[in-house]
Amino acid sequence: MLRPRLRLIGGVCAGFAEHTGLPVNAVRTAALLLTVCGGAGALLYAWLWVTVPSAPAESGRFATPLPKASLARPARAAGASDGQFRSGPGAGWAGKAAGAGSEATAPKLGNAILEGASAGTAVGANPRAAPITEILLGVALLTAGITLVASRLGANIPLAVVVPGIVVLAGAALAWRQFADIRSGEAQQASARLVRALGALVLVVVGILLFFVTGSAPNVWTVVAASIAVLLGVAVVIAPWLLRLARDLADERAARERESERAEIAAHLHDSVLQTLALIQQKAGPHSDAARLARAQERELREWLFADTPTGVSDTVDLATEVRRVSSLIEADFAVHFELVAVGPSVADAPEALVAAAREAMLNAARHAGGSVSIYLESRPSGIELSVSDRGPGFLIDEIPADRHGVRESILARMTRAGGNALLRPGPGGVGTEVVLTLPAATIAAPGTAAPGTPAEHTIETRTT
Amino acid sequence: MTEATANVGAAASVALPVLIVDDHSIFRSGLRADLDAGLHVLGEAATVDEAIALVIELQPRVVLLDVHLPGGQGGGGAEVIRVAAPSAPHTLFLALSVSDAADDVVSVIRAGARGYITKSASGAEVSDAARRVADGDAVFSPKLAGFVLDAFGAVAGETADTLEELDRLSARETEVMRLIARGYSYKEVAGSLFISIKTVETHVSSVLRKLQLSNRHELTAWALARKLL
Repeated sequence: MLRPRLRLIGGVCAGFAEHTGLPVNAVRTAALLLTVCGGAGALLYAWLWVTVPSAPAESGRFATPLPKASLARPARAAGASDGQFRSGPGAGWAGKAAGAGSEATAPKLGNAILEGASAGTAVGANPRAAPITEILLGVALLTAGITLVASRLGANIPLAVVVPGIVVLAGAALAWRQFADIRSGEAQQASARLVRALGALVLVVVGILLFFVTGSAPNVWTVVAASIAVLLGVAVVIAPWLLRLARDLADERAARERESERAEIAAHLHDSVLQTLALIQQKAGPHSDAARLARAQERELREWLFADTPTGVSDTVDLATEVRRVSSLIEADFAVHFELVAVGPSVADAPEALVAAAREAMLNAARHAGGSVSIYLESRPSGIELSVSDRGPGFLIDEIPADRHGVRESILARMTRAGGNALLRPGPGGVGTEVVLTLPAATIAAPGTAAPGTPAEHTIETRTT
Repeated sequence: MTEATANVGAAASVALPVLIVDDHSIFRSGLRADLDAGLHVLGEAATVDEAIALVIELQPRVVLLDVHLPGGQGGGGAEVIRVAAPSAPHTLFLALSVSDAADDVVSVIRAGARGYITKSASGAEVSDAARRVADGDAVFSPKLAGFVLDAFGAVAGETADTLEELDRLSARETEVMRLIARGYSYKEVAGSLFISIKTVETHVSSVLRKLQLSNRHELTAWALARKLL
């Protein structure tokens, strides 16, 4: 049953007539007659007015695809403003309550589209949810109407029971509406929510107390009934919370499932991407640009995949991590591939001189040898040894012109100043160059010695022209 | 993915029969194309179950085995070795992996693989490693050597007193591992230490045996604690 847009007062009679197939005028006459004899018709009209939803502005709008958000979680309350908008002046509290109450009954696309964009409230098209608020309110109103009519007709109405009953129903309806709002995830002010929750609670309790106090002389049955009523009242108030809890739990479980599924997909994806990148490097050869790009990507992916310490321990940089970082920077600029093997306990505070000298050695290897360059880092109780070996043309220290500071200054002198030692020798099997940097444990422990800061710190100009 | 080649020619009969086991068809075909003429690919398998069936059926000399494989009991490459090895006594396994995770590699090594090589290795390197494995030697990548040094406490100065000791490396083995970790080839190790290649191979095989048989707790605990080797 829907109230048409074209209406005399609230469109209730027209809607009822359309629903039942009776002529509109007959329905209106009946309503008027009912109103005249005791006001029951007015009450019925008011109830239908607030509970029966308006017909959508255009039925064609139903074909409009719903926003994605509403699919995931149907927002239930189209909002109190919606209710007020429909219930004209004079509808007062009933209209307000029904605004939320009608949340679940029918999609009001016309209104919701206007609101939905800004407020994020999607169309509450959830036909399965029972319109509890409306039923409770309706029962309360009906009871009030019937009582009115009956008392006018002279029947002996136990007002002591009926009045509290109406209050309880209205209170329960308020409570329900309140929690429907909460569940819909609508942003509400906490104070307003509290006031309404308390109000609902007070209504329920007052109703129950009234029932108890105004009853006839207390006997076993009234006491039992009262306690049951109290329990029911509390249950009505608490039920929405429980519902919300269960719903949140289900949401969370679903989210967790999604997350694990995503992780699985990512793992699979990255595994296959790593394979492809390895293949590209294999095919393209160590000196090609393609291999360099593939290597950089692989490194990035690996770092992302195996980032086991994402916590900010940036002030103490592990030596191996630092060398790896430097090597990836150099790899980005040169056709070179560093293979780092780090052995021994990690060196928490990377000695600056050692890192700087290692960087020079790596740059030299990248520039003059390229291809595959091995870096071996061993931290022993006695000290640190770092060797960089390439398979390039090789060179002898005596052949370097005196004005070239790269090797002499940035590697040899720097290590000497730091209290360590640097050794240049032919690489494995007499091919290429191996730079061995050693730093005794004593010099690492002493602060200040490890950070000499040479003028050649930032020169990357090295041995050739 | 079972495609055992039927035309085993005269040239192929002297070639080294290998089986490629990897779940990525791109990688399989790429590797197959890259392997040199000295290797003859008997077939390819993509899952644990296929691999086990093919190893037992074809009895290849060397299996190029991916560490991560779907199927079976979820044990990956290590499961293939454990299940298939008893039924294929002459088959040797060489682990291939994109993963540098120590626990992965150590698990296949301890299951019985004769070596480990990264997938970024070229076809020639893989062929060479496969031949070396077929000759009964072990194949260590620099990273695996680094892991061994760490796991056996060699950098801390622990050395084995007797040849029988499984939980520590001898001084010579430590030196060999150190050079391999630096990226030296066996020949270069031999040159540096003034020993023969055969001696280097003996040392490496001995280290492999220790890696497979030792109960040193670092081997398991360390591998899990540290992601990279």
